[in-house]
Amino acid sequence: MRIGAIAGITFKEAKRDRVLYLLFFFAALGILASRVLAILTVGDRLKIIKDVGLASIAVFGVLMAILIGTGLVYKEIDKKTIFTLLAKPIRRAEFILGKFLGLVLTLFVMTAAMTAIFLAIVFAHTLEVEGALLVAVAYIFLELVLVTAVAVLFSSFSTPILSSLFALAFYLIGHLSWGLKLILAKMAPGPGRALVRALYTVLPDLENFNFKTEVVHGLPIPPGIYLPSLLYGLCYTAFILGLAILIFRRRDFI
Amino acid sequence: MVPATAPRRGRATLLLVGLLVAASAGFSALKVATDKIAREKLPGSSIIYVPSGKFLKFAAFGYRALAADAVYLWSIQYYSTPTIDDRYDHLDHVFAIINELDPRFQDPYEVGAMIAVQGAQENRARPEAAARLLAAAFAILDRGAANNPDQWIYPFNAGHIALMTLKDYALAETYFERCMAIPGAPEFVERLRANAIFKKGDLQTSWETWLDIYKRAPDERTKKIASNHLYNVKATMDKAALEAALAEYRKRTGRPPAGLDALAGAGLVREVPKDLDGKDYVYDPAAGTVTTVISPWRR
Repeated sequence: MRIGAIAGITFKEAKRDRVLYLLFFFAALGILASRVLAILTVGDRLKIIKDVGLASIAVFGVLMAILIGTGLVYKEIDKKTIFTLLAKPIRRAEFILGKFLGLVLTLFVMTAAMTAIFLAIVFAHTLEVEGALLVAVAYIFLELVLVTAVAVLFSSFSTPILSSLFALAFYLIGHLSWGLKLILAKMAPGPGRALVRALYTVLPDLENFNFKTEVVHGLPIPPGIYLPSLLYGLCYTAFILGLAILIFRRRDFI
Repeated sequence: MVPATAPRRGRATLLLVGLLVAASAGFSALKVATDKIAREKLPGSSIIYVPSGKFLKFAAFGYRALAADAVYLWSIQYYSTPTIDDRYDHLDHVFAIINELDPRFQDPYEVGAMIAVQGAQENRARPEAAARLLAAAFAILDRGAANNPDQWIYPFNAGHIALMTLKDYALAETYFERCMAIPGAPEFVERLRANAIFKKGDLQTSWETWLDIYKRAPDERTKKIASNHLYNVKATMDKAALEAALAEYRKRTGRPPAGLDALAGAGLVREVPKDLDGKDYVYDPAAGTVTTVISPWRR
Protein backbone atom coordinates (compact mmCIF):
# COMPACT_ATOMS: atom_id res chain seq x y z
CA MET A 1 0.00 0.00 0.00
CA ARG A 2 2.75 2.42 1.02
CA ILE A 3 4.82 1.17 -1.90
CA GLY A 4 1.85 1.89 -4.18
CA ALA A 5 1.54 5.42 -2.82
CA ILE A 6 5.24 6.16 -3.39
CA ALA A 7 5.03 4.59 -6.86
CA GLY A 8 2.04 6.80 -7.67
CA ILE A 9 3.85 9.93 -6.54
CA THR A 10 6.97 8.91 -8.49
CA PHE A 11 4.83 8.39 -11.58
CA LYS A 12 3.25 11.83 -11.17
CA GLU A 13 6.68 13.37 -10.61
CA ALA A 14 8.15 11.66 -13.69
CA LYS A 15 5.18 12.83 -15.76
CA ARG A 16 6.21 16.41 -15.03
CA ASP A 17 9.82 15.83 -16.08
CA ARG A 18 10.55 17.64 -19.36
CA VAL A 19 13.40 15.24 -20.15
CA LEU A 20 10.81 12.48 -20.50
CA TYR A 21 8.90 14.38 -23.17
CA LEU A 22 12.07 15.44 -24.94
CA LEU A 23 13.20 11.82 -25.18
CA PHE A 24 9.73 10.72 -26.24
CA PHE A 25 9.78 13.38 -28.96
CA PHE A 26 13.10 12.09 -30.29
CA ALA A 27 11.93 8.49 -30.06
CA ALA A 28 8.81 9.34 -32.05
CA LEU A 29 10.96 11.24 -34.52
CA GLY A 30 13.26 8.23 -34.85
CA ILE A 31 10.33 5.89 -35.48
CA LEU A 32 8.81 8.26 -38.02
CA ALA A 33 12.20 8.80 -39.68
CA SER A 34 12.42 5.05 -40.29
CA ARG A 35 9.98 5.55 -43.17
CA VAL A 36 12.26 8.18 -44.68
CA LEU A 37 15.32 6.00 -44.17
CA ALA A 38 13.51 3.11 -45.81
CA ILE A 39 13.23 5.17 -48.99
CA LEU A 40 17.01 5.37 -49.15
CA THR A 41 17.47 1.62 -49.16
CA VAL A 42 17.59 -0.80 -52.06
CA GLY A 43 15.55 -3.87 -51.23
CA ASP A 44 13.52 -4.62 -48.13
CA ARG A 45 12.17 -1.30 -46.83
CA LEU A 46 10.05 -2.92 -44.15
CA LYS A 47 13.16 -4.36 -42.55
CA ILE A 48 14.64 -0.86 -42.18
CA ILE A 49 11.40 0.44 -40.68
CA LYS A 50 11.28 -2.41 -38.16
CA ASP A 51 14.98 -2.19 -37.32
CA VAL A 52 14.99 1.57 -36.78
CA GLY A 53 11.65 1.51 -34.96
CA LEU A 54 12.61 -1.21 -32.50
CA ALA A 55 16.05 0.36 -31.97
CA SER A 56 14.42 3.74 -31.23
CA ILE A 57 12.12 2.19 -28.63
CA ALA A 58 15.05 0.38 -27.00
CA VAL A 59 17.57 3.24 -27.08
CA PHE A 60 15.23 6.02 -25.97
CA GLY A 61 13.62 3.75 -23.40
CA VAL A 62 17.04 3.07 -21.89
CA LEU A 63 17.85 6.78 -21.93
CA MET A 64 14.58 7.50 -20.11
CA ALA A 65 15.31 4.81 -17.53
CA ILE A 66 18.83 6.09 -16.94
CA LEU A 67 18.26 9.85 -17.05
CA ILE A 68 15.18 9.79 -14.85
CA GLY A 69 16.11 6.78 -12.71
CA THR A 70 19.51 8.09 -11.68
CA GLY A 71 17.97 11.27 -10.24
CA LEU A 72 15.09 9.59 -8.42
CA VAL A 73 16.65 8.92 -5.03
CA TYR A 74 19.41 11.52 -5.30
CA LYS A 75 16.92 14.36 -5.77
CA GLU A 76 15.10 13.41 -2.56
CA ILE A 77 18.38 13.47 -0.67
CA ASP A 78 19.61 16.65 -2.36
CA LYS A 79 16.37 18.56 -1.67
CA LYS A 80 16.22 17.13 1.88
CA THR A 81 12.69 15.82 1.24
CA ILE A 82 13.99 12.41 2.27
CA PHE A 83 13.86 13.56 5.91
CA THR A 84 10.14 14.27 5.67
CA LEU A 85 9.54 10.94 3.99
CA LEU A 86 11.60 8.79 6.30
CA ALA A 87 10.14 10.50 9.36
CA LYS A 88 6.87 8.81 8.38
CA PRO A 89 6.30 5.09 9.03
CA ILE A 90 7.91 4.09 5.75
CA ARG A 91 10.65 1.49 5.51
CA ARG A 92 13.62 2.35 3.34
CA ALA A 93 12.99 -0.81 1.31
CA GLU A 94 9.45 0.42 0.61
CA PHE A 95 10.84 3.77 -0.49
CA ILE A 96 13.25 2.13 -2.96
CA LEU A 97 10.63 -0.30 -4.28
CA GLY A 98 8.08 2.52 -4.61
CA LYS A 99 10.50 4.68 -6.57
CA PHE A 100 11.39 1.71 -8.78
CA LEU A 101 7.79 0.73 -9.50
CA GLY A 102 6.82 4.35 -10.18
CA LEU A 103 9.48 4.63 -12.86
CA VAL A 104 8.60 1.21 -14.27
CA LEU A 105 5.01 2.42 -14.62
CA THR A 106 6.22 5.58 -16.37
CA LEU A 107 8.35 3.52 -18.74
CA PHE A 108 5.45 1.17 -19.38
CA VAL A 109 3.28 4.10 -20.50
CA MET A 110 6.08 5.53 -22.62
CA THR A 111 6.92 2.18 -24.21
CA ALA A 112 3.23 1.63 -24.97
CA ALA A 113 3.02 5.05 -26.63
CA MET A 114 6.18 4.49 -28.68
CA THR A 115 4.96 1.01 -29.67
CA ALA A 116 1.63 2.44 -30.80
CA ILE A 117 3.41 4.89 -33.13
CA PHE A 118 5.70 2.12 -34.34
CA LEU A 119 2.88 -0.30 -35.08
CA ALA A 120 0.99 2.46 -36.87
CA ILE A 121 3.99 3.12 -39.12
CA VAL A 122 4.35 -0.60 -39.86
CA PHE A 123 0.61 -0.84 -40.49
CA ALA A 124 0.79 2.11 -42.91
CA HIS A 125 3.40 0.17 -44.86
CA THR A 126 1.94 -3.34 -44.79
CA LEU A 127 -1.71 -2.77 -43.91
CA GLU A 128 -1.27 -5.59 -41.40
CA VAL A 129 -0.90 -5.65 -37.62
CA GLU A 130 2.20 -7.66 -36.85
CA GLY A 131 1.72 -9.18 -33.41
CA ALA A 132 5.22 -10.72 -33.47
CA LEU A 133 6.69 -7.27 -33.04
CA LEU A 134 5.08 -7.11 -29.61
CA VAL A 135 7.28 -10.00 -28.48
CA ALA A 136 10.39 -7.94 -29.23
CA VAL A 137 8.84 -4.88 -27.52
CA ALA A 138 7.87 -6.93 -24.43
CA TYR A 139 11.45 -8.08 -23.94
CA ILE A 140 12.75 -4.56 -24.60
CA PHE A 141 10.48 -3.50 -21.72
CA LEU A 142 11.93 -6.27 -19.53
CA GLU A 143 15.38 -4.90 -20.32
CA LEU A 144 14.17 -1.41 -19.36
CA VAL A 145 12.93 -2.77 -16.02
CA LEU A 146 16.39 -4.17 -15.29
CA VAL A 147 18.14 -0.94 -16.37
CA THR A 148 15.71 1.01 -14.15
CA ALA A 149 16.71 -1.14 -11.17
CA VAL A 150 20.37 -0.45 -11.97
CA ALA A 151 19.69 3.31 -12.22
CA VAL A 152 17.91 3.23 -8.84
CA LEU A 153 20.79 1.25 -7.32
CA PHE A 154 23.40 3.81 -8.38
CA SER A 155 21.09 6.69 -7.51
CA SER A 156 20.92 5.42 -3.93
CA PHE A 157 24.57 6.19 -3.25
CA SER A 158 25.98 8.32 -6.10
CA THR A 159 25.44 11.56 -8.00
CA PRO A 160 23.19 11.57 -11.10
CA ILE A 161 26.13 12.10 -13.49
CA LEU A 162 28.15 9.22 -12.10
CA SER A 163 25.05 7.06 -11.79
CA SER A 164 24.22 7.73 -15.45
CA LEU A 165 27.73 6.70 -16.48
CA PHE A 166 27.59 3.54 -14.34
CA ALA A 167 24.14 2.60 -15.63
CA LEU A 168 25.24 3.22 -19.22
CA ALA A 169 28.31 1.07 -18.63
CA PHE A 170 26.04 -1.67 -17.25
CA TYR A 171 23.94 -1.46 -20.42
CA LEU A 172 26.99 -1.64 -22.69
CA ILE A 173 28.53 -4.52 -20.71
CA GLY A 174 25.18 -6.30 -20.87
CA HIS A 175 25.21 -6.16 -24.66
CA LEU A 176 28.88 -7.04 -25.06
CA SER A 177 29.34 -9.75 -22.42
CA TRP A 178 28.69 -12.45 -25.04
CA GLY A 179 32.19 -11.69 -26.31
CA LEU A 180 33.54 -13.48 -23.24
CA LYS A 181 32.08 -16.68 -24.65
CA LEU A 182 34.38 -16.36 -27.68
CA ILE A 183 37.36 -15.82 -25.38
CA LEU A 184 36.31 -18.83 -23.28
CA ALA A 185 36.27 -21.04 -26.36
CA LYS A 186 39.91 -20.18 -27.03
CA MET A 187 41.23 -20.39 -23.46
CA ALA A 188 43.02 -23.42 -22.07
CA PRO A 189 41.59 -24.86 -18.84
CA GLY A 190 43.03 -23.20 -15.73
CA PRO A 191 42.38 -20.46 -13.20
CA GLY A 192 42.20 -17.78 -15.92
CA ARG A 193 39.48 -19.67 -17.72
CA ALA A 194 37.58 -20.24 -14.47
CA LEU A 195 37.75 -16.50 -13.77
CA VAL A 196 36.45 -15.62 -17.23
CA ARG A 197 33.76 -18.28 -16.88
CA ALA A 198 32.68 -16.75 -13.54
CA LEU A 199 32.65 -13.27 -15.06
CA TYR A 200 30.64 -14.51 -18.01
CA THR A 201 28.05 -16.05 -15.67
CA VAL A 202 27.77 -13.09 -13.32
CA LEU A 203 27.88 -10.19 -15.78
CA PRO A 204 24.49 -9.18 -17.19
CA ASP A 205 23.56 -10.68 -20.53
CA LEU A 206 21.03 -8.30 -22.06
CA GLU A 207 21.12 -10.30 -25.30
CA ASN A 208 18.70 -12.62 -23.50
CA PHE A 209 16.07 -9.93 -24.06
CA ASN A 210 17.06 -9.19 -27.64
CA PHE A 211 14.61 -10.81 -30.04
CA LYS A 212 14.72 -7.97 -32.54
CA THR A 213 16.65 -9.88 -35.24
CA GLU A 214 14.39 -12.93 -35.06
CA VAL A 215 11.22 -10.85 -35.15
CA VAL A 216 12.35 -8.57 -38.00
CA HIS A 217 13.57 -11.46 -40.17
CA GLY A 218 10.71 -13.77 -39.24
CA LEU A 219 13.08 -16.36 -37.81
CA PRO A 220 11.66 -18.96 -35.45
CA ILE A 221 12.25 -18.22 -31.75
CA PRO A 222 12.74 -21.37 -29.65
CA PRO A 223 9.63 -21.51 -27.43
CA GLY A 224 11.77 -22.74 -24.53
CA ILE A 225 13.65 -19.45 -24.31
CA TYR A 226 10.77 -17.14 -23.33
CA LEU A 227 10.36 -18.29 -19.73
CA PRO A 228 14.08 -18.61 -18.81
CA SER A 229 14.74 -15.15 -20.31
CA LEU A 230 11.83 -13.67 -18.37
CA LEU A 231 12.95 -15.33 -15.12
CA TYR A 232 16.55 -14.26 -15.78
CA GLY A 233 15.41 -10.65 -16.08
CA LEU A 234 13.29 -10.87 -12.94
CA CYS A 235 16.03 -12.58 -10.90
CA TYR A 236 18.65 -10.05 -11.99
CA THR A 237 16.27 -7.18 -11.22
CA ALA A 238 15.53 -8.67 -7.78
CA PHE A 239 19.27 -8.99 -7.14
CA ILE A 240 19.96 -5.36 -8.12
CA LEU A 241 17.01 -4.07 -6.08
CA GLY A 242 18.11 -6.15 -3.08
CA LEU A 243 21.56 -4.59 -3.38
CA ALA A 244 20.02 -1.11 -3.66
CA ILE A 245 17.92 -1.68 -0.53
CA LEU A 246 20.90 -3.06 1.38
CA ILE A 247 23.01 -0.01 0.50
CA PHE A 248 20.19 2.47 1.08
CA ARG A 249 19.41 0.97 4.52
CA ARG A 250 22.98 1.63 5.62
CA ARG A 251 23.10 5.21 4.32
CA ASP A 252 23.41 8.05 6.78
CA PHE A 253 21.86 11.30 5.52
CA ILE A 254 23.29 13.65 8.11
CA MET B 1 20.30 -0.38 26.14
CA VAL B 2 19.81 -1.94 22.71
CA PRO B 3 16.73 -0.61 20.94
CA ALA B 4 13.94 -3.12 20.34
CA THR B 5 14.16 -2.59 16.58
CA ALA B 6 17.77 -3.90 16.44
CA PRO B 7 16.99 -7.66 16.22
CA ARG B 8 14.26 -6.93 13.67
CA ARG B 9 16.71 -4.88 11.65
CA GLY B 10 19.27 -7.69 11.83
CA ARG B 11 16.70 -10.22 10.63
CA ALA B 12 15.74 -7.95 7.75
CA THR B 13 19.39 -7.60 6.71
CA LEU B 14 19.82 -11.37 6.84
CA LEU B 15 16.69 -11.76 4.76
CA LEU B 16 18.01 -9.28 2.24
CA VAL B 17 21.37 -11.05 2.01
CA GLY B 18 19.48 -14.31 1.57
CA LEU B 19 17.46 -12.72 -1.21
CA LEU B 20 20.65 -11.48 -2.88
CA VAL B 21 22.24 -14.94 -2.74
CA ALA B 22 19.07 -16.62 -4.03
CA ALA B 23 18.66 -14.06 -6.82
CA SER B 24 22.30 -14.33 -7.93
CA ALA B 25 22.10 -18.14 -7.87
CA GLY B 26 18.87 -17.89 -9.81
CA PHE B 27 20.15 -15.63 -12.57
CA SER B 28 23.42 -17.60 -12.85
CA ALA B 29 21.51 -20.84 -13.31
CA LEU B 30 19.13 -19.21 -15.77
CA LYS B 31 22.06 -17.78 -17.71
CA VAL B 32 23.46 -21.31 -18.12
CA ALA B 33 19.99 -22.55 -19.10
CA THR B 34 19.41 -19.84 -21.74
CA ASP B 35 22.90 -20.40 -23.15
CA LYS B 36 21.95 -23.99 -23.91
CA ILE B 37 19.01 -22.92 -26.08
CA ALA B 38 20.20 -22.57 -29.67
CA ARG B 39 18.87 -19.46 -31.39
CA GLU B 40 18.58 -19.05 -35.14
CA LYS B 41 21.18 -16.83 -36.71
CA LEU B 42 21.11 -14.97 -39.98
CA PRO B 43 24.06 -15.68 -42.26
CA GLY B 44 26.43 -12.77 -41.76
CA SER B 45 24.03 -11.09 -39.36
CA SER B 46 26.73 -10.63 -36.76
CA ILE B 47 28.59 -8.14 -38.96
CA ILE B 48 25.90 -6.95 -41.33
CA TYR B 49 25.75 -3.57 -39.59
CA VAL B 50 29.48 -2.98 -39.47
CA PRO B 51 29.64 0.41 -41.16
CA SER B 52 32.16 1.45 -43.77
CA GLY B 53 35.56 2.67 -42.70
CA LYS B 54 34.82 6.05 -44.30
CA PHE B 55 31.95 6.55 -41.85
CA LEU B 56 33.88 5.15 -38.91
CA LYS B 57 36.72 7.60 -39.61
CA PHE B 58 34.36 10.36 -38.51
CA ALA B 59 32.65 8.37 -35.81
CA ALA B 60 36.01 7.49 -34.22
CA PHE B 61 36.84 11.21 -33.84
CA GLY B 62 40.59 11.42 -33.21
CA TYR B 63 40.96 7.75 -32.36
CA ARG B 64 41.14 6.28 -35.87
CA ALA B 65 44.18 4.15 -35.20
CA LEU B 66 42.63 2.87 -31.98
CA ALA B 67 39.39 2.09 -33.81
CA ALA B 68 41.44 0.26 -36.48
CA ASP B 69 43.18 -1.73 -33.72
CA ALA B 70 39.84 -2.61 -32.15
CA VAL B 71 38.29 -3.78 -35.43
CA TYR B 72 41.49 -5.67 -36.30
CA LEU B 73 41.57 -7.46 -32.94
CA TRP B 74 37.93 -8.32 -33.27
CA SER B 75 38.47 -9.58 -36.84
CA ILE B 76 41.24 -11.92 -35.70
CA GLN B 77 38.90 -13.45 -33.15
CA TYR B 78 36.06 -13.54 -35.65
CA TYR B 79 37.98 -15.24 -38.44
CA SER B 80 39.64 -17.71 -36.10
CA THR B 81 36.27 -19.01 -34.93
CA PRO B 82 35.51 -21.92 -37.28
CA THR B 83 32.02 -22.36 -35.86
CA ILE B 84 30.93 -19.18 -37.69
CA ASP B 85 30.22 -20.82 -41.04
CA ASP B 86 29.58 -17.61 -42.94
CA ARG B 87 32.54 -15.69 -41.54
CA TYR B 88 34.19 -15.21 -44.93
CA ASP B 89 31.14 -13.55 -46.51
CA HIS B 90 32.16 -9.97 -45.68
CA LEU B 91 35.91 -10.39 -45.39
CA ASP B 92 36.91 -7.68 -47.85
CA HIS B 93 34.44 -5.25 -46.25
CA VAL B 94 35.84 -5.87 -42.76
CA PHE B 95 39.46 -5.41 -43.81
CA ALA B 96 38.56 -2.39 -45.96
CA ILE B 97 37.28 -0.77 -42.75
CA ILE B 98 40.61 -1.35 -40.99
CA ASN B 99 42.54 -0.18 -44.05
CA GLU B 100 40.46 2.99 -44.36
CA LEU B 101 40.76 3.78 -40.66
CA ASP B 102 44.52 3.32 -40.60
CA PRO B 103 46.03 3.00 -44.08
CA ARG B 104 49.58 2.66 -42.68
CA PHE B 105 48.66 -0.24 -40.40
CA GLN B 106 50.59 -2.95 -42.25
CA ASP B 107 49.54 -6.22 -40.58
CA PRO B 108 45.88 -6.21 -41.64
CA TYR B 109 46.81 -6.20 -45.34
CA GLU B 110 48.98 -9.28 -45.00
CA VAL B 111 46.78 -11.08 -42.47
CA GLY B 112 43.57 -10.21 -44.35
CA ALA B 113 44.97 -11.63 -47.60
CA MET B 114 46.21 -14.71 -45.76
CA ILE B 115 42.76 -15.30 -44.24
CA ALA B 116 41.17 -14.85 -47.68
CA VAL B 117 43.49 -17.47 -49.21
CA GLN B 118 42.79 -19.82 -46.29
CA GLY B 119 39.06 -19.24 -46.85
CA ALA B 120 39.45 -19.99 -50.55
CA GLN B 121 41.14 -23.28 -49.70
CA GLU B 122 38.40 -24.17 -47.23
CA ASN B 123 35.81 -23.38 -49.91
CA ARG B 124 37.41 -25.46 -52.68
CA ALA B 125 34.15 -27.37 -53.08
CA ARG B 126 32.39 -24.08 -53.89
CA PRO B 127 34.41 -22.61 -56.79
CA GLU B 128 32.39 -19.38 -56.88
CA ALA B 129 33.03 -18.63 -53.20
CA ALA B 130 36.69 -19.61 -53.53
CA ALA B 131 37.13 -17.28 -56.53
CA ARG B 132 35.45 -14.44 -54.61
CA LEU B 133 37.80 -14.94 -51.67
CA LEU B 134 40.87 -14.97 -53.89
CA ALA B 135 39.61 -11.75 -55.48
CA ALA B 136 39.28 -10.35 -51.93
CA ALA B 137 42.91 -11.32 -51.21
CA PHE B 138 44.08 -9.37 -54.27
CA ALA B 139 41.79 -6.43 -53.40
CA ILE B 140 43.26 -6.23 -49.87
CA LEU B 141 46.85 -6.43 -51.13
CA ASP B 142 46.14 -3.89 -53.90
CA ARG B 143 44.86 -1.49 -51.22
CA GLY B 144 48.02 -2.13 -49.24
CA ALA B 145 50.14 -1.31 -52.27
CA ALA B 146 48.13 1.81 -53.10
CA ASN B 147 48.26 3.11 -49.50
CA ASN B 148 51.90 2.13 -49.01
CA PRO B 149 53.71 2.55 -52.35
CA ASP B 150 57.07 2.15 -50.61
CA GLN B 151 56.27 -1.38 -49.42
CA TRP B 152 57.29 -4.18 -51.82
CA ILE B 153 55.65 -6.87 -49.67
CA TYR B 154 52.13 -6.34 -51.07
CA PRO B 155 52.82 -6.89 -54.79
CA PHE B 156 55.18 -9.68 -53.70
CA ASN B 157 52.44 -11.44 -51.70
CA ALA B 158 49.94 -10.90 -54.51
CA GLY B 159 52.40 -12.39 -57.01
CA HIS B 160 52.97 -15.34 -54.70
CA ILE B 161 49.22 -15.99 -54.40
CA ALA B 162 48.81 -15.70 -58.18
CA LEU B 163 51.72 -18.10 -58.72
CA MET B 164 51.03 -20.72 -56.07
CA THR B 165 47.27 -20.63 -55.42
CA LEU B 166 45.52 -19.08 -58.39
CA LYS B 167 48.10 -20.42 -60.86
CA ASP B 168 47.57 -17.35 -63.03
CA TYR B 169 51.18 -17.01 -64.15
CA ALA B 170 50.66 -13.90 -66.28
CA LEU B 171 49.15 -12.14 -63.23
CA ALA B 172 52.03 -13.36 -61.08
CA GLU B 173 54.52 -11.95 -63.59
CA THR B 174 52.76 -8.56 -63.48
CA TYR B 175 52.82 -8.43 -59.66
CA PHE B 176 56.49 -9.50 -59.46
CA GLU B 177 57.37 -6.82 -62.03
CA ARG B 178 55.64 -4.20 -59.83
CA CYS B 179 57.46 -5.53 -56.78
CA MET B 180 60.86 -5.33 -58.52
CA ALA B 181 60.24 -1.66 -59.31
CA ILE B 182 60.02 -0.79 -55.58
CA PRO B 183 63.37 0.11 -53.96
CA GLY B 184 64.43 -2.47 -51.39
CA ALA B 185 62.68 -5.42 -53.08
CA PRO B 186 64.78 -8.56 -52.58
CA GLU B 187 66.75 -9.82 -55.59
CA PHE B 188 65.02 -13.23 -55.57
CA VAL B 189 61.80 -11.58 -56.83
CA GLU B 190 63.25 -11.40 -60.34
CA ARG B 191 63.86 -15.16 -60.19
CA LEU B 192 60.21 -15.67 -59.17
CA ARG B 193 59.21 -13.53 -62.14
CA ALA B 194 61.39 -15.61 -64.47
CA ASN B 195 59.79 -18.75 -63.08
CA ALA B 196 56.30 -17.28 -63.62
CA ILE B 197 57.21 -16.52 -67.24
CA PHE B 198 58.39 -20.14 -67.65
CA LYS B 199 55.18 -21.50 -66.15
CA LYS B 200 53.18 -19.19 -68.38
CA GLY B 201 54.70 -21.08 -71.30
CA ASP B 202 56.77 -18.25 -72.77
CA LEU B 203 59.95 -20.34 -72.96
CA GLN B 204 61.97 -17.94 -75.14
CA THR B 205 61.42 -14.95 -72.77
CA SER B 206 62.03 -17.23 -69.80
CA TRP B 207 65.38 -18.35 -71.34
CA GLU B 208 66.41 -14.73 -71.95
CA THR B 209 65.38 -13.68 -68.42
CA TRP B 210 67.24 -16.54 -66.73
CA LEU B 211 70.28 -15.89 -68.93
CA ASP B 212 70.24 -12.24 -67.87
CA ILE B 213 70.00 -13.29 -64.20
CA TYR B 214 72.87 -15.76 -64.74
CA LYS B 215 75.07 -13.08 -66.26
CA ARG B 216 74.35 -10.56 -63.48
CA ALA B 217 74.46 -13.09 -60.62
CA PRO B 218 76.20 -11.50 -57.65
CA ASP B 219 77.27 -14.84 -56.13
CA GLU B 220 77.84 -18.51 -56.96
CA ARG B 221 74.57 -19.61 -55.37
CA THR B 222 72.48 -17.35 -57.59
CA LYS B 223 74.54 -18.42 -60.59
CA LYS B 224 73.83 -22.07 -59.78
CA ILE B 225 70.09 -21.43 -59.38
CA ALA B 226 69.97 -19.57 -62.71
CA SER B 227 72.01 -22.32 -64.35
CA ASN B 228 69.58 -25.00 -63.14
CA HIS B 229 66.64 -23.03 -64.47
CA LEU B 230 68.42 -22.46 -67.79
CA TYR B 231 69.01 -26.24 -67.95
CA ASN B 232 65.30 -26.80 -67.27
CA VAL B 233 64.11 -24.25 -69.85
CA LYS B 234 66.41 -25.68 -72.56
CA ALA B 235 65.38 -29.25 -71.69
CA THR B 236 61.70 -28.29 -71.93
CA MET B 237 62.21 -26.65 -75.35
CA ASP B 238 64.30 -29.61 -76.65
CA LYS B 239 61.87 -32.15 -75.26
CA ALA B 240 58.96 -30.44 -77.01
CA ALA B 241 60.85 -30.38 -80.34
CA LEU B 242 62.00 -34.03 -80.02
CA GLU B 243 58.61 -35.37 -79.00
CA ALA B 244 56.96 -33.54 -81.91
CA ALA B 245 59.54 -35.11 -84.26
CA LEU B 246 58.97 -38.55 -82.68
CA ALA B 247 55.24 -38.23 -83.30
CA GLU B 248 55.86 -37.26 -86.92
CA TYR B 249 58.27 -40.21 -87.34
CA ARG B 250 55.64 -42.62 -85.99
CA LYS B 251 53.09 -41.14 -88.32
CA ARG B 252 55.35 -41.64 -91.34
CA THR B 253 56.73 -45.10 -90.55
CA GLY B 254 54.07 -46.56 -88.29
CA ARG B 255 56.64 -47.43 -85.62
CA PRO B 256 58.82 -45.55 -83.17
CA PRO B 257 62.48 -45.02 -84.04
CA ALA B 258 65.11 -47.18 -82.32
CA GLY B 259 67.04 -44.09 -81.24
CA LEU B 260 66.94 -40.31 -81.44
CA ASP B 261 69.61 -40.35 -84.21
CA ALA B 262 66.96 -41.78 -86.52
CA LEU B 263 65.10 -38.43 -86.30
CA ALA B 264 68.09 -36.60 -87.79
CA GLY B 265 68.44 -39.34 -90.42
CA ALA B 266 64.80 -38.84 -91.39
CA GLY B 267 65.33 -35.09 -91.67
CA LEU B 268 62.87 -34.34 -88.85
CA VAL B 269 65.52 -32.48 -86.79
CA ARG B 270 68.73 -30.86 -88.03
CA GLU B 271 70.72 -32.54 -85.26
CA VAL B 272 69.82 -34.29 -82.03
CA PRO B 273 70.17 -31.65 -79.30
CA LYS B 274 72.10 -32.29 -76.10
CA ASP B 275 71.26 -30.91 -72.68
CA LEU B 276 72.96 -27.81 -71.24
CA ASP B 277 75.71 -30.00 -69.78
CA GLY B 278 76.39 -31.57 -73.22
CA LYS B 279 74.83 -34.89 -72.27
CA ASP B 280 72.38 -36.89 -74.39
CA TYR B 281 68.69 -36.98 -73.54
CA VAL B 282 67.26 -40.33 -72.48
CA TYR B 283 64.80 -41.77 -75.00
CA ASP B 284 62.26 -44.45 -74.06
CA PRO B 285 61.03 -46.05 -77.34
CA ALA B 286 58.23 -47.95 -75.59
CA ALA B 287 56.72 -44.84 -74.00
CA GLY B 288 57.86 -42.46 -76.75
CA THR B 289 59.18 -39.98 -74.14
CA VAL B 290 62.36 -37.96 -73.83
CA THR B 291 63.81 -37.08 -70.40
CA THR B 292 66.99 -35.53 -69.05
CA VAL B 293 69.67 -37.77 -67.65
CA ILE B 294 69.48 -35.93 -64.33
CA SER B 295 66.91 -33.75 -62.58
CA PRO B 296 67.63 -30.03 -63.23
CA TRP B 297 67.60 -29.47 -59.48
CA ARG B 298 70.19 -32.19 -58.71
CA ARG B 299 72.95 -31.22 -61.12
